[in-house]
Amino acid sequence: MLVVEAFGRIPRNTLTFLMDIVGLISVALSASRHLRKSNRRKIFFTLFVRQLYNTGVRALFINGMIAIFVGTLLMARLFDYIPQQLLADQYGYLFVVIIFRELGPLISGIILIARSATAITFEIGYLRLRREFQVLNGLGINPVFLFLLPVFFAFPVSLFLMFLYFDFICVLSAYAMIWISDPGITFAVFVHSILQHITLNEVAVNAVKAILGGMLIGIISIYFGARASNSFEDVSEAISNSTTSQLMAFFLINVVLSLLAYTQ
Amino acid sequence: MGLTIRDLHIEYPGTLVFDALNLDVNEGETIAIETQVLDGGTSLLRGIGGFLSGVGGDVQLNGINLLTCDASERAALVGFVYEQQGLVSFYTTYENIVLPLQFHSGLSQDEIHERVHRECAALNVEEALFNLKPHQLNDVQIRLINLARALCVNPQLLLIDELEGGMSEEYLQATMARLQEKQQNSPMAIIITTSNEFVMQKADKVYSIANNDLVLEH
Repeated sequence: MLVVEAFGRIPRNTLTFLMDIVGLISVALSASRHLRKSNRRKIFFTLFVRQLYNTGVRALFINGMIAIFVGTLLMARLFDYIPQQLLADQYGYLFVVIIFRELGPLISGIILIARSATAITFEIGYLRLRREFQVLNGLGINPVFLFLLPVFFAFPVSLFLMFLYFDFICVLSAYAMIWISDPGITFAVFVHSILQHITLNEVAVNAVKAILGGMLIGIISIYFGARASNSFEDVSEAISNSTTSQLMAFFLINVVLSLLAYTQ
Repeated sequence: MGLTIRDLHIEYPGTLVFDALNLDVNEGETIAIETQVLDGGTSLLRGIGGFLSGVGGDVQLNGINLLTCDASERAALVGFVYEQQGLVSFYTTYENIVLPLQFHSGLSQDEIHERVHRECAALNVEEALFNLKPHQLNDVQIRLINLARALCVNPQLLLIDELEGGMSEEYLQATMARLQEKQQNSPMAIIITTSNEFVMQKADKVYSIANNDLVLEH
């Protein structure tokens, strides 16, 4: 009986979690009605910009550094394994397939989870411990409007900008490696060969990855942060659970979308 | 008109706090509730303000039921001053004060700014505090910011939880004087929990809490 119960608990908890997340998304969408009023839009916009700055702009350094490492490593390995003549025809295609389609979104998402989502979970958990949700309720302000909505909208935008920035820095670092090995290839030729292989499909899939991924990462942060109620340990546990769920969800989204969009 | 409370029932799982409580507070009247530690004073204020769930009874403020009205309506009618905290951590002092006005009122930024400066000046809240975050304030400053935020809304009912903690006698007198002045200009009912003699002297009526009810002292 206990074994059956234990096995039953996993799907039950997963289903409950999924339903809670769907519920939270609908709550966020419902709270968006406040944005029709200009005074509330102003409050939202300030928080949105703050979130965008913390999530997107302040991640530029780490995003850029990792992009340099990945771009450099990718080209260095390709030069090692693929004959140079063959590579000269294929680097644009390989760059798009490896970086633009897969690694760019994945690594940017991981950075978003590690840097910003954990911070949001902590922030929400801390606000819960200090009963600040109650304060806002007392002021007639829905905490969802103040805490969830800016994250809900800023995370997807930040993630998409992080994709673009990551790809851009990767192009530069990859070209630096190419130039060292073969100075005859100009930057314009390299960029042209990449752009040749980027279609509207790639851009659309990346946008969907950013929107779905960013939204889910943000919602999951809030969900676990808001579950902290009594002790500081609740917040630590929330961060741990939140990060695990976000990584699972984000990798799943990436894999499924890539398989659906790019399988020939 | 004013505040009419009938059969107020507040209960936490396993603990009855108030049962069948009745109270009338006229416009412009100040009621002090003498409280001891954990005797339910804060719960009573939160219950009256409609901030607790599962509260039974009827709380009418100038014809509006505070237990059932929507949050925006309540925010325009009721100001609450917390004994501790009560501010949003990631906002500055100024942002905390203007938040309800920005969210609920249609006032322009200039009007909000003017109102905030007027209330803060009257409460001796220095503008130097405006850019500080709540963690940079002491308990008295936090309570005064709470009070300034509540007064800026011009509430019809002001609920104050232990104003005096850590406050000097002089500051307390000035703050109570400001509350009375505000009451004269825009009549509001004030309910204040306290254990301070001076606050009780300034109140029109003083109640104590006993047997899950309020008892009129004088």
